[in-house]
Amino acid sequence: MVKKVIEIKNLSKTYGKLKAVDDISFYVESGEIFGLLGENGAGKSTTLEMIEGLRKPTSGDIKILGKDIKHNVNFVKTKIGVQLQSTAYYQFLTLKEIIELFCSLYSKCIDPYRLLSLVDLKDKAKSYVGKLSGGQRQRFSIVAALVNDPEIVFLDEPTTGLDPLARRNLWKIIENIKLKGKTIILTTHYMEEAEILCDRIGIMDKGKILALDETNKLIEMAEYPFKISFVSSKHDGSNIKKLTKYGMVENVIGKKNQYILKIKNKSKLDEAVDFVRSIKPNYYTIGKATLEDVFIELTGKTIGDEN
Amino acid sequence: MFLKLFIADVKMIFRNRQSFFWALMFPLMFTFIFGFFFGNSSSAGNVAYLDNANNEISQSLRSTMDQSGLFKINDTYSSVDDIKSAVKNSKISAGIVVPKGYGQQFADSSTELKIIYDPGNATTNAVIVGFLDQYSTALNYKISNTKQIFSVVQEKISDKELNYFDFVLVGILGLALMNSSVIGISVSMSRYREDKILKRITTTPLKPWMFITAEVLSRLIVNVIQIVLILSIGIYFFNAHINGSIPILVLLSMIGAVLFQLIGFAIASFAKSTDAAQGMTTAITIPMMFLAGVFFPIDLLPSWLYMFVKYLPLAPLLRMIRGVALESLSPFDNPQNILIVVGWIVVALIISSYKFRLSDE
Repeated sequence: MVKKVIEIKNLSKTYGKLKAVDDISFYVESGEIFGLLGENGAGKSTTLEMIEGLRKPTSGDIKILGKDIKHNVNFVKTKIGVQLQSTAYYQFLTLKEIIELFCSLYSKCIDPYRLLSLVDLKDKAKSYVGKLSGGQRQRFSIVAALVNDPEIVFLDEPTTGLDPLARRNLWKIIENIKLKGKTIILTTHYMEEAEILCDRIGIMDKGKILALDETNKLIEMAEYPFKISFVSSKHDGSNIKKLTKYGMVENVIGKKNQYILKIKNKSKLDEAVDFVRSIKPNYYTIGKATLEDVFIELTGKTIGDEN
Repeated sequence: MFLKLFIADVKMIFRNRQSFFWALMFPLMFTFIFGFFFGNSSSAGNVAYLDNANNEISQSLRSTMDQSGLFKINDTYSSVDDIKSAVKNSKISAGIVVPKGYGQQFADSSTELKIIYDPGNATTNAVIVGFLDQYSTALNYKISNTKQIFSVVQEKISDKELNYFDFVLVGILGLALMNSSVIGISVSMSRYREDKILKRITTTPLKPWMFITAEVLSRLIVNVIQIVLILSIGIYFFNAHINGSIPILVLLSMIGAVLFQLIGFAIASFAKSTDAAQGMTTAITIPMMFLAGVFFPIDLLPSWLYMFVKYLPLAPLLRMIRGVALESLSPFDNPQNILIVVGWIVVALIISSYKFRLSDE
């Protein structure tokens, strides 16, 4: 039987007329990476901060490790580690000193050098945060969430603003934290990140959870689970039209000769592949639907850093 | 837990060299400027002494002047013209010429001391003329063997030796405490909020009051350094007169510092950004610098304005510190001052504890 470390029931948060979080319920299992995926303003951070005890819910219940957070805030705080979205740390303390300081605020403590080596920052132990690169800073803020050896780790958009290499580096670190038996709940607006990292995902939009399931099951929800991408320099409108009987054809935005054919089922896929090959495209690949496809279908929009 | 937090806070204050430097530099600059203008002013300055008589009496006059501590005697001038040009060029503030045979009781011997002075330097003149007048009178009585019958008894409103520099030194002390505490807290708390450090702190089991107490205590260390530096420079470089109890003075200053830090927290709870905090701080401290009696006694103001500004937080504090430092009074001599300070502390405490939050909610 799975152990539910976080249980949320009918959670809402309203600011005036704005329903930032609108009656959501979900649970997080012990040892998994649970992702809340949504665009900016979808209510991810508000949800996270209510669970962390930083914001008071307008209504609903939050249980962490079986205890109601309303009456056990201090117990909960010792059991969780929090990385906030775009936090800075003290300017005039070294990494080691910051970790020691935060350590001293809990009764439990991990050796600063051991923590820093987890994220490859051991040789920066005596530097100030200001001397770190963006990726190093993010890594530090994650490790600073582990000072009390928490059971549950909250990561709020841990990779936002990082370059692809630094992001991949961080994914590895997050995986390693999971391997240590910790439960991780993270928010992100990167589809790829959620797909790679998360065991289960809740897709949020306008304060509501639109879908919640294991990552691969979510992807299977796609209306068009298969797709063929191809490049054809021949401008033959009739061929493209013929493709519509296999599925939905989309012209890639900004690329006149690139098309994506989305297909609903396996049998159609084989026929479609034969047809695409017959029009002799310059190039073609066959792929699966991604989380992004599901997301777009569910929310009816694309996602990115900006709204 | 608390000790570690306190030590970390102290470390950060001293490592933030720029802000630490200015917390000390700003008041020290004022101390030096006012010291150069008004310090040492109980002394009439350098006075040339040209002794043409060179006898027992002229030498006793010289040593009396020297011992009075009012003058610095300069013996290097050898002619009246030299002295005149030196006074003109402000190298010395005045010159005294003792005529040949002064003090000898011969009919033809000269009995007049000559004072060479610059009419622009009224204070010095008054001191020298007064001093020599008294000396001459005493000498007259002694030589004519008569007893003085009528005399004037002088009574100062305070028996302590005081001058403007002493007044302003205490003002600078209060100014330093106010500026560094209000700015220090309001700006650093707003920055902590912007950087989400406050929010991050709320995710730990640390109690907010502990966080705030550590901040306040660590900043009091800066205040102690300020007080020690300002007082020692005032006393050792510019002869300031601190007559009262130094421990009570420091204690009152600390109470003032806590009050100003609370005001800093109150500002930080309203300011939405660090820039806003800076602006609000300036708007509060600059008027208070002039209206609470840092540089000028505020009872010089029109009475309707005085009625109002005497309640500004810095004003009663300066009155109390001046009472202790300059007149050796007890702070309890005027309980109104204590009431006003305590009142402000309560107000600032209420505002900060209701409005100042580590997290957004």
